[in-house]
Parts: sequence; C-alpha cells; structure tokens
Amino acid sequence: MGNLLKHLKKYWLLALLASGFMVAEVYVDLYQPRMMQRIVDEGILGVSSGGVSNLDLVISTGIRMLLIVIAGGLCGIGSALFTNIAGQNYGNDIRKACFEKVMRFSFEQTDRFSTGSLITRITNDVTQLQQLVMQMIRGLVRCVMFFIGGTAALLSLDLSFGTIVACAFPLILIDIIFVVWRTNPLFTVLQESLDRLNGIIQENVAGIRVVKAFVQEKTEAQRFGEANRHLVDTQFNVQVMLSFLRPVMNIVLNIAVVGVLYVGSVQVRQGGVAPGMVMAAITYISQILNGMMMLAMIFQTLSRGMASAKRLGEVLETESSIVRDDTLPQASEAQKGTVSFRGVRFAYAHNGKTVLHDINLDIAAGETLAIIGATGCGKSTLVNLIPRFYDATGGQVLVDGTDVRAWEPSRLREKVTMCLQKSELFSTTIRDNIAIGKPGASQEEIEAAARAAQADDFIRQQPEGYDTPVAERGMSLSGGQRQRIAIARALLKRSEILIFDDSTSALDLKTEAKLYEALSRDYGDVTKIIIAQRIASVQNADRIVVLDGGTIAACGSHRELMASSPIYRDIYDSQLREEATA
Amino acid sequence: MSGAIQSRAAQQGFGRRGPNLGAPTEKPKDGRQTLRRLLGYFRPELKYVIYLALSVVLAVAAGVIAPRLQSSVIDDLVAREFDAIPPILGMMLCVYIVNGVATLLQGFLSARLGQRVIYRLRAELFGKVINLPIPYLDSHSHGDLMSRMTNDAENVSNVISSSLSSLFSGVLTLIGTLVMMFSYSVPLTLLTCVTVLLSVLVTRVMSALMRRYYLKRQVLLGQLNGIVEEKVSAGKTVTAYNLQEATIRDFAETSDALTKTGIIADVIGNAMGPLMNMINNFSFVIVAAFGAWFALRGMISVGVISAFIIYSKQFSRPINELAQLYGQIQTAVAGAERIFSVLDAESEDKSGSRELPVHEGVIEFKNVNFSYVPGKQVIYDFNLRVEAGKKIALVGSTGSGKTTIVNLLMRFYELDSGCITVDGADIRDISCDVLRDAVGIVLQDSVLFTDTVRNNLKYADRSISDKKMIEAAESSNCDKVVAALPDGYDTVLTAAGANLSQGQRQLLTIGRAFLSYPKILILDEATSSVDTRTEKQIQNAMVELMKNRTSLIIAHRLSTIRDADQIVVMEQGHIIETGTHEELLKKKGDYYRLYMTQFAGQAT
Repeated sequence: MGNLLKHLKKYWLLALLASGFMVAEVYVDLYQPRMMQRIVDEGILGVSSGGVSNLDLVISTGIRMLLIVIAGGLCGIGSALFTNIAGQNYGNDIRKACFEKVMRFSFEQTDRFSTGSLITRITNDVTQLQQLVMQMIRGLVRCVMFFIGGTAALLSLDLSFGTIVACAFPLILIDIIFVVWRTNPLFTVLQESLDRLNGIIQENVAGIRVVKAFVQEKTEAQRFGEANRHLVDTQFNVQVMLSFLRPVMNIVLNIAVVGVLYVGSVQVRQGGVAPGMVMAAITYISQILNGMMMLAMIFQTLSRGMASAKRLGEVLETESSIVRDDTLPQASEAQKGTVSFRGVRFAYAHNGKTVLHDINLDIAAGETLAIIGATGCGKSTLVNLIPRFYDATGGQVLVDGTDVRAWEPSRLREKVTMCLQKSELFSTTIRDNIAIGKPGASQEEIEAAARAAQADDFIRQQPEGYDTPVAERGMSLSGGQRQRIAIARALLKRSEILIFDDSTSALDLKTEAKLYEALSRDYGDVTKIIIAQRIASVQNADRIVVLDGGTIAACGSHRELMASSPIYRDIYDSQLREEATA
Repeated sequence: MSGAIQSRAAQQGFGRRGPNLGAPTEKPKDGRQTLRRLLGYFRPELKYVIYLALSVVLAVAAGVIAPRLQSSVIDDLVAREFDAIPPILGMMLCVYIVNGVATLLQGFLSARLGQRVIYRLRAELFGKVINLPIPYLDSHSHGDLMSRMTNDAENVSNVISSSLSSLFSGVLTLIGTLVMMFSYSVPLTLLTCVTVLLSVLVTRVMSALMRRYYLKRQVLLGQLNGIVEEKVSAGKTVTAYNLQEATIRDFAETSDALTKTGIIADVIGNAMGPLMNMINNFSFVIVAAFGAWFALRGMISVGVISAFIIYSKQFSRPINELAQLYGQIQTAVAGAERIFSVLDAESEDKSGSRELPVHEGVIEFKNVNFSYVPGKQVIYDFNLRVEAGKKIALVGSTGSGKTTIVNLLMRFYELDSGCITVDGADIRDISCDVLRDAVGIVLQDSVLFTDTVRNNLKYADRSISDKKMIEAAESSNCDKVVAALPDGYDTVLTAAGANLSQGQRQLLTIGRAFLSYPKILILDEATSSVDTRTEKQIQNAMVELMKNRTSLIIAHRLSTIRDADQIVVMEQGHIIETGTHEELLKKKGDYYRLYMTQFAGQAT
C-alpha cells in the first residue's frame, strides 16, 4: 500500500486545489437558503422593520444570489478540472508502474498471480483505484462539507433545530450501516455467481461439439438454469437490500421536515424565529441528509476501491526475482553456445512438488541434443531453466560457462532462443510476427527464416502474403501453421542456443522432416536442444536424453540407446515396433 | 425528447459510480418493434406490473401532495394561526409514510419483476445457443455471442428492473408537479420552466461535445486493454524475445494518450454536475426573488414560495433523469435486438423419423460432397464403407479433410450432395440425439467442464455407477491422473481444466468417451498430447474398448493407426489410397512415403 501512496505524493497540490474549489462550491449551495430567508423575512414580511416589506432588498439580494451562483458553478468546474488532472494522472502512473512490473516478472511470479488476474489488475483495478482517489478528493469533501457546513448553518438559525438533526442522524446512520453491512457480502456472492454463469456460457460455446456429441443439451440447460437461478436470486436480494436505502432515508428526512415545522411553529409562536428561518431550516435539513446519502455511495466506492488498491499493492510490492547476481563469477567469453547442468534440482513453489532431481549434463557448442520422456517427466521444466524462465531451486545452470544468474537477463535471452510449446502470435501481420525475432530484419532475412521453418509456401498462399494480419490471436491459422510462424521467428533470431520445446507437435511428418533437414544444413553452428514426442523427430540427434521421473535415465545416440536403454527401446517399440527392418 | 440527449447514460463496466455523462449510446435498428417484443416478456407477469404501477402512482401522488401541505403550514406560520398547524403536520406525516412505503414496494416489485423476466430471457437464450447448428457458431464470433449472453442480457435486466419504473414514475411526477405549480401560479411556473429549458440546452451542447471525446477514449481504452490482454497472456514470448522494453514503451504511449483524452472527456463530463447545480440554483434564485416579488404584490403567499422550491426540484430531477433513462433504454433495446437476433436464428434440425437405437454400427459414405463455404469444396465424391466392429484409420496431411469427415458423420453439417448411412439408414432420417448417443467421440481440443472429475467422466450419463466409472478410469489410465489430484474424483476442475496438463486432460476426455459405451467410436487426434508410452497403454485398453465397436481414428502418428483394419489416405478431400498397413507398404505409394519419413526421419 505504501507504494500506492508514494505515487500519490506528486499530486498533493492539485488535490488540495480541487478540494478547495469543492469547498467553495458547497459553501455557495449552503449560502442560498440563508439569502432566501433574508428575502422572505426582511423583504416580504419585514420582520425587523415592523412588517414593512422591502422590494429593493428583494431585488439586490436576488442579484447577489445570481452572482454567487455563477461563482459557485465556476468553482465546481475548477474542482472537476483539478480532480481529473490529479486522479487520472495518478491512475496512469500506477497503470504504467504495474505493467512494467508485470512485464519483468519471472514466470513463477506470473504463474502465482495468474495472467487473467494480472490483466484485471492492470485494467479494472486501476480504474477502480482512480475512481476511489477522485471520490476522495471531490465526493468525500463534498459530503463532509454538506454535513458539517449544513449543521453549522442550521444551528446558527436556531439551536433547537439541532435536536431534530441529532435525532435523525443516528437513524440514517443505522440505515446506511445496515444496508452496507448486509449488501457487502452479497456483492461478493453476486460476483461469484456471475462468474459461474459466465463460465458455463463460455464452456458451452467453446465446447459445443462435445455437448452435442454427448447429447447433453438438456443437462447443460439444467446446469445453466441452476446458475441462472442463483444469480437472479442474489441480484434480487441485493436490489431489495439497496432499495431500503432511499425510502427509509426519505421517511426519516421527511419526518425531520415535519419536526422542523413543528419546532418552528412553536418557536415562531414564542418569537425569536421568523417563518423564513423555518423555510431555510427545511432546505438545510435536506442538504445535510442528502450529504449523508452520498456518503453511503462513497462507502461503496471505498470498499471496492480498497480491494483494488490491495490487489495493485501486491503487484507493486513484488520485486522481480529475475535479476543479475553480481556476486557470481563470470567466465571469459571464450566459450560460445555451451550449456551445463550441475546437480540441478527444481521444485514448483506453489505446490512444492519436486520435478527435477540432481540433473548433470553438458551440452557442447553446435551439438544437437534431443530430450524425450513421458508427459510430466520434467522435459519442459529442464529447458525453461536455460533462459531463466524459472530459477533452479538447487544446483547450477551454466550458459557459455557462466551461471545463468550472473548474466544480465536480456543478454542471456539474446544468446538463448526458445520456441515455445504453445505458439503465441500477436494480432499484427505475419511479417511483424516473424520480425519479433530480429527487429528491423530485411524482407530477405524474414523469407529465409520462413523458408527454413517450412512456412514460406503457406504464407504466400495467404490473401495478402506476408502482410496478412493474424486474426484473433492466431485463430485464422491452423495449429501447424502457427507453429511454423513461431519457428520462423525463432530461426530469424539466430542465437547461439536454440530450444524447441515440443514446438513441432502439430506438424505432419513430411514437414517436420524437411524442417530438421533445413536446420542441420543452415543452422549447423547453433546449439540445438529439441524436446519431442516422436522417435523420428529425435533419432538423428547427436545425443538423446531420456528423462524419466525428473532424472536422466539414459543419454547417448539412437544406436547406443537402442542397445542400452530399456525405456528408450520401449518408446521406440511403441511407435515403430517390428517394422525396424524395413 | 430527441436522440441527441443522452446525458447520463451509465457506462457499463467502466467506473460505475462516477458521473459518466455522454457515454456513447447505441441506437437500435428497429427500436419500436424490439421494445414491443421485450414488453411481451412482461405479459406473464401482469400481476406484478399492475402492483408496480399502483405503487408508483401512490408514491408519486404522496410526493406531489406533501409540498402542498408544507406550503399551508408556512402560510399558517406567517398568518400566526398556530392551532391549525398540528393537524396538517399529522397529515404530512401520513403522506410521507405512504410515500416511503410505496417507494419501498416499488423497489421490491421492480426487483422481483426484473428477476423473473431476466431469468426467462437468459434461460431461453442459453437454450437457443446450445441448440444452434455448428455452422452458425462457426460463422459468428464466440466473443460476440458471449457478450450477448452476458453484457446485453445484463443491460436489458437493468432496464427492466429499474429504468422502466423510474421512467413511469418520472413522467407521472413531471405531470403531477406541473399541475400543482400551475394551480399555484402560472407566471412563476413559466419562469421555472425557463431554467428547465436552459438545462436541456446545456445538456445538448455539452453531450455533443462529450460524445466526441468519449468515443476517442473508448477507442484508446480498447487499444490499451488489447495490449494488456495480448502481452500479459503472451508473457513467455515477450520475455523470450526481450520485448519487455519495447512493450513497456508502447504501453506507456497508449496509456498517456488515454489519460490525456480521459481528462478532457471527464472534465467536460464532470462539469455537467456543477453546471446542473448552477441551473438548479438559478431556479432557486428565480423562485426566491420572483416569488418574493409576486408575494409582495399579493399574487401568491409565502408558503407557495416554499412549495415552489420543492416543486422546482421535483420538476427538474425527472427531466435530467429522463434524458439518462432514454439513453439507457436505447442501449438496452439495442442489446435486446442482438439477443432477439440470436433467438430468431434457426435451431439445429435434429429431426429424424428413426428413433431406434443404432444396432450394428455399419457406416457408409456414398458420393459425399461437402463445402463449409459455398464455392470452396473440401470433400470430393467420398465413398467409404465401414463394416460393423471394424477399425478405420484416416491419415493425411493437415487440411486433407479428415476432421470434416467426422463432423459430417456427427451430423454437425449438412452435405452438399450424397449421403451417409448408419446401419443402412440415412443419417438425416435418424434423429440427432439417437445418432450422437450411439457415437463416442474424443476431439483434438480436450474440452472439460468446470465440475468434479466424477461428473466430467460421467458426462454422458450421470446415473452410471461409481464402480463402472472407476473401471473405465482404470482401463483408460486416467486413474493415475485422478489419484494425483487433491480430492480424487471429487476434485473440481478449474476453468478450462487449467490445473491439469494437456496430456492429463486428454486422458480424462478418453475416459469420458469410454463411459459413454458407444457403438461407434471416433478418435480425432485423441492421443496427440499423450506421450507414446502412455499412449501405448491407452491403446491396449482401447483394443478392449473397440471390440464389437466400429472405430474411426484420425492421427498423425502412424504407430497409432498401424493396427487398423483399413487405412484411408486422404489428400485435399479425396481418398488417394486404401488398404491395410502391409498392403499399402507393399504398394510403395503415398502411405509408404509417409511411413518412410516417420521411420527414416530426416533421411528422405
């Protein structure tokens, strides 16, 4: 939370100005009934001049009121101006700070928050916080002013009116507290049931084929019906609770008006209070109580805004765990393209499950190393340690002889290129998606990379070739096509170490074979680490690592492993079996 | 009231409480027709509508009478007739209580009405969506459909539950107040109306000014959210390619632009408040000053001034509100229009005279031609007969039409020409429910539902016993996946099954297909994310499952399909080879080449 306040400091003067103008605007509102009272009591009834009315006074007071009203309006606009400058710039600062933080998070940290939650924080929560700050600057000042100023003005008319406010005040407070107390937990329930309903809709729209294939339309409609029922019932409860707020307040306010009239009539009878004062008192009462009504709304913004502030504070407090460690020794730049694992262990922080045990492995420059193993055996985790997407929980990972933690992260990632399991394409043109690998690359370079990735042909068949936009996060392209664009992007970068994290799974065999051929021909000097499921994808590698249960079960060439590793043979058999003679 | 006045249209989802004047309002295409149809949903709730109308009338009547009573109290004060005051105060008390209770009832009834109507509307919409034909869902964006079911339904719900009764109450108050004011003093009423005209004028000018900036802000906000959404979700790529700095710069630029536009838009928007306040104060001044002038001339009493102060407020509030309500209702009617357009779409034709369950599972494709989009044919003259209990594998490169064949068999799409028969009956004559009940399917995308593992496995039929479920889980190797979950079969899978790996999810979908005991089994790349050793175990189990079942298998891995009774090699919608694995290898055709690439790796 301290972080959020620190950002706010810059705007204290603007906020003060905004509040000042607001005070002036409210003051004008509070001054009106007073002037009216003068018009009635002095102008019409001539209370102090023995019943002689005074038209000039009416006119001059009227003109003065007009001028003050205009001044009040200008103050209000001034307040809006400064509030928005302060509030929105503050929101902008927070938004940018959060986004920057998130961009620098380690994958571990991103996983912990979940991407969905991070997106909501940067968009929705920032808006809520901004709203909160602006409410505090303007709304709160306005309410408090109406309340305090109104009470003061009322008491200045006659102290006996104070008792009426003193009676009405706790009643309204109870009403507000009751409604806020009852509805606040309901809002959480409401959000949950709304999420549930949206979840069901989303699942059904996305999984419509499954629903239809299993003939579950009726069951799904029933499941939706339950969620729908729950949502509308909760909505109903919230609305009923909220609808208590205004009528109850109105009743209290109106009873207070009746009270003022009654007390007023007694006072007028005794003398000392003039009828105009009673009229002014009625107006003040409604201003005071309206101020309290606004307070109830501000409470809501406050509770929503505080929840958002907490969530944003969490993001800002988190320091990226991926930073360069200066204390570790840096090897000379003599080695290029080597990777070593020394007693590497890894456990996920969120569930403490150990995924890798004591991995020792040296990969030479220019070598092609393949990794094969069952789902969940830790293949992906192992390679994720090389560009420091995650940090090993024990042991050391070395790139070019230097501990990965000793490299500047951006320098390390220049050396290591990872082609991901899930190809993430951006909503821009195919060309720009490939050019991410090397900003400013020439058309020839891009095409060469696309050719090697076996993507050139289908890209040319797209309506606008390389300039075809990738729609809705790559949905316009097939899985295999997206993978090839992602591969082209990785190849364009041409770094020392290239990692394929199961990134050819959607390619058919012919295409995959051609890709590997191009790789060994044009990228011979690059160290290649390939994770794959298919024996055909890995058997021509210099060495193949068989990973099993988080440890290296075997390592060697295809021929060696066929002879020595029962697991490898098992995999081989499952895929190719007796046809080995063909 | 013209369409230009849309001052306080609440902008959904973006700072709900702040004054969001001039937010862009959508205009429905055929508002009257849609509104009439929307009102049709109220017909079954006529009882509530009548009660609601009565409570509104009661509340408004009490609200309009009260200032009149107050005015006579003030007059009695001025005239020093103190004894007449207490009875009037008693009446006032009664009137206010009636007003309060009626308002409470109004809130309760409109909430109830909204709840009932929106429940039905949403249920109807959902029922429609899941019964839409697949081609409809292909040609309409899922995001758009989602937003119709959530945002649009929400807007309509808001209008139903509050705006309509506010509108009715507003109009009544306007009329009642006007009548009261005219009955007191025609000239003072006309003077008060001047301020109303002023406020309408100001609103009109300001909202025109605002709309431009709000629109601009909306566009920038969309861009900014787009950046956040895309770059945070693709965080791995951003990091892997060292794009953080560039992305942060990009974001900051858009964020700054948004802030600049946002400040202008909101300053204009927020200025409306003080401006309206100023106009209200003008009317206060007019009432006080001119009222006094009229009072001095004996045209009105002092009490009338006090009544006018209240009436002029009561009068200007609905006018400001009506503009806002008008915008809200327009947005909602536009939303309702979109909802109705979905409701009006044709449902999937599931009809079929043959209700008998599929017995044998003989499938035959006869001269099937098919295109998703007219003019772009994807299946050409497809002929294939699959005998009962046989295992057929479809192979071919991406885009060769394998998945399409499965889609056609499931009756997800209509053929261009030719026919598909199951057990000799044209599938168009078999009702979809019967046909699909007979087919078990495992798709490329492993779709699971937010529910317990148990309910996901028993998806086809909840009444299946746990014993059978566990057996099926064992034979499909999902039992190991389930054992690793915190609550076993009772573990609730989170949205989209995110707590499972792709492979684990696929295992569960296979287990689900096991439990549907189908006559015909379809596996569309079912094992692509499962490693080959696990796949082998699944396959062993599947031999059991596929006994006496007709099976259609699509796979990239030749190892998956080698045991098939018949392999069908497809290319661009044509069958180019058929035969057993051995036959096709001997033939040394396309299958042989495909196989050799697999076996010989890069050596071709």
